[in-house]
Amino acid sequence: MALLDLFSKDVQELENEGILMTSLEKLVAWGRSNSVWPATFGLACCAIEMMSSTDGRNDMARFGSEVFRASPRQADVLIVAGRLSKKMAPVMRRVWEQMPDPKWVISMGACASSGGMFNNYAVVQNVDSVVPVDVFVPGCPPRPEALIFAVMQLQKKIRGEAIDEGLTKLPMVEAWAR
Amino acid sequence: MTLAQIPETALEGPTSLLHTEEMVLNVGPQHPSTHGVLRLVIHMDGEFITKVQNHMGYLHTGFEKTFENRTYQQGVTYAPRTDYLHSFGHELAYVLSVEKLIGAEIPARANLVRVILHELGRIQSHLVMIGTGMLDLGALTLFFYTFREKEALQDIFEDVCGYRMNQGYFRVGGLSQDIPDGWIETVQAFCAKFGSAVDEYQNMFLNNPIFLARTKGVGVITPEQALDWGLTGANLRASGVALDHRKANPYCGFETFDFKIPTATAGDCFERFRMRLEEMRESAKIVSQALERLEPGPVKDPNRKISLPPREELETSMEAVIHHFKLVTEGFHPPVGEVYVPIESARGEVGYYIISDGGSMPYRVKIRAPSFVNLQALEYAGVGGQFADLIAVLASLDPVMGDVDR
Amino acid sequence: MNNTKTLLRNAGLEWQEGALETTAIVSPAKLKDTAEQLQREEWYLLDIVGVDYLEFTVKQPARFAVIYNLYHLGENARVFLKVFLEDGETLPSLYSVWKAANYLEREVYDLVGVVFDEHPDLRKVLTPEDLEGHPLRKDFPLGESPTLFNDGRFLDPSTFRAGVTGKDRGLSGYKGGERAGTSSAPLPPTLEVFTANVEKVKA
Repeated sequence: MALLDLFSKDVQELENEGILMTSLEKLVAWGRSNSVWPATFGLACCAIEMMSSTDGRNDMARFGSEVFRASPRQADVLIVAGRLSKKMAPVMRRVWEQMPDPKWVISMGACASSGGMFNNYAVVQNVDSVVPVDVFVPGCPPRPEALIFAVMQLQKKIRGEAIDEGLTKLPMVEAWAR
Repeated sequence: MTLAQIPETALEGPTSLLHTEEMVLNVGPQHPSTHGVLRLVIHMDGEFITKVQNHMGYLHTGFEKTFENRTYQQGVTYAPRTDYLHSFGHELAYVLSVEKLIGAEIPARANLVRVILHELGRIQSHLVMIGTGMLDLGALTLFFYTFREKEALQDIFEDVCGYRMNQGYFRVGGLSQDIPDGWIETVQAFCAKFGSAVDEYQNMFLNNPIFLARTKGVGVITPEQALDWGLTGANLRASGVALDHRKANPYCGFETFDFKIPTATAGDCFERFRMRLEEMRESAKIVSQALERLEPGPVKDPNRKISLPPREELETSMEAVIHHFKLVTEGFHPPVGEVYVPIESARGEVGYYIISDGGSMPYRVKIRAPSFVNLQALEYAGVGGQFADLIAVLASLDPVMGDVDR
Repeated sequence: MNNTKTLLRNAGLEWQEGALETTAIVSPAKLKDTAEQLQREEWYLLDIVGVDYLEFTVKQPARFAVIYNLYHLGENARVFLKVFLEDGETLPSLYSVWKAANYLEREVYDLVGVVFDEHPDLRKVLTPEDLEGHPLRKDFPLGESPTLFNDGRFLDPSTFRAGVTGKDRGLSGYKGGERAGTSSAPLPPTLEVFTANVEKVKA
């Protein structure tokens, strides 16, 4: 097919020939959303379910998120899995700051999202007060399916298909920066 | 080659050949391996470790303080979250201590179900230990095999109490509810298949030359050292001391079951891994025996001052409503006293030292956390080897940070 | 049990009668000698418990107690050595006797605030460096934060729980049941009282 065809034929004809048209931003967001690599940030019980979500039965690899990176510099999403103690909070903030943009945070479990059953001197009551959170996952601990669903929600958000509580569409992540 | 095999003259003094500047290496607290948030400060001389310092507390949750502000029955929900891999162990230790304090009587069926779940929990914990331990040593494959059985176990737990982890199924005075129909067959089917699964693991790693090279003779702990450092559980038995509270101080009727305590003499990482493998076989044996003995019956202490009345009675009996109200709003009041019941969890001796002042909440709860004490051995056993050996030693000691930091 | 007592008698220890666990009370001055003797007789240290008896309902000899959990392998015997001490007093470290005391004493120091002399490395072990105070002392607050609901309503957890502690009235005004030694609150209704009341009403 000649390059000229791209300009002479209309979109429907091109699609029939197997050529899809999109914007660069959408293409980048689509690629990004299907390779969201999490940083290994298991803290407590939820970390075990986080590990389970990559095993043979649940297989998070289907959504491109199985590659847990030990170095935050290679990771896209920080899954805060478990209760965050006040001693760990500055460490987590630093790990988050070490991650390259664009980056996202999933707060996994009741303890990370709200302090859960540990309302005391030692536990941070909301991870949102330390780092900005994109998706909260309820459960104590959440099932692997719930975590996979959270990753899918995050993919939607990255692709610009997500809506907030007031039914406003959330913007797509820009291709070059956040 | 370990440090001990290098001639001393090569290491001592600034004039020696091999001496390099000491390097201080920080590992963690964000996951030095797959064992939670532990921070290690390691002093290294070239490739060899001269000093290891553990820094814990990155998962300090304030369990003991929280226990003081919850009723005894509410405490059952907190206990499994300390050691989330063998949660039934901590749950059992907690309820046994409280039961000793108030003198509850446990029906035979409840006791057997407790034994079954306690042992299945031990299998689950060892499966995760072997899977993630091999992951630490760079072998990814075994993780998928052990997690296959772990998922089957979690299904079993989910059937019985609706939760995959952190069950909170035991109650002071029995169980929260009876086991569901068909559960026994599910567990029997699991036990029948489990033996061959263990054989599979054994073929995959005990004969693996890379695994042998990385663990044989690494991180040796002698029996005297192990006892001096307060090690318990499989780590102690790998060093040749056959202390198992299921045999030594039987609880829940463990003295009536036929099982062996695997021990080894070498005390190195390899034996600590192998102990877990052997223990899984023994646990499966106990589960099969307990399943055969299960007979229908009550699962709660009939004493209404301890356990809740059945739901149906609330509609017909005023007395049941009063008991229900008292237990839910306030809980029971044990007599003044201090109590400790040790049990054998997957990691070692777990016990809850509970001090009661006669109120409806414990005055003080001290958790005897095996991981916390076992982790001390890393500061000794890790010294002298290479950095890669340290990870092997850490994996073989199998600490759970929730248990360490509480 | 009898073996335990024989072993203790050999070591010259007196145990508390009537306690649920075998507990021997040792004075701080004698602690180290006793520990060394027990170590020679092959007792092993498994745990150290620090307790603050500030609000305890039964009078105790001193504010703090440190309880050493010892185990004898050959006889399967267990004994708790209990040492009472006041705020500001120190205990000798048992690190030179049992290495296991290392972390355990650090933990007691961190959470209860008992100082152990001659410990090689007495630092905080669990709580953050910047946390002042010792969380497991009774005068250290639990540190709960109130729950905030969407419509701006707050729920204070300690008020919510107040009826259960028996110390103060909760939202319902219910003051809980009797606490041994302190309260003269009426006993919870038993079956006998209840039926007697029913009979009275019927009559």
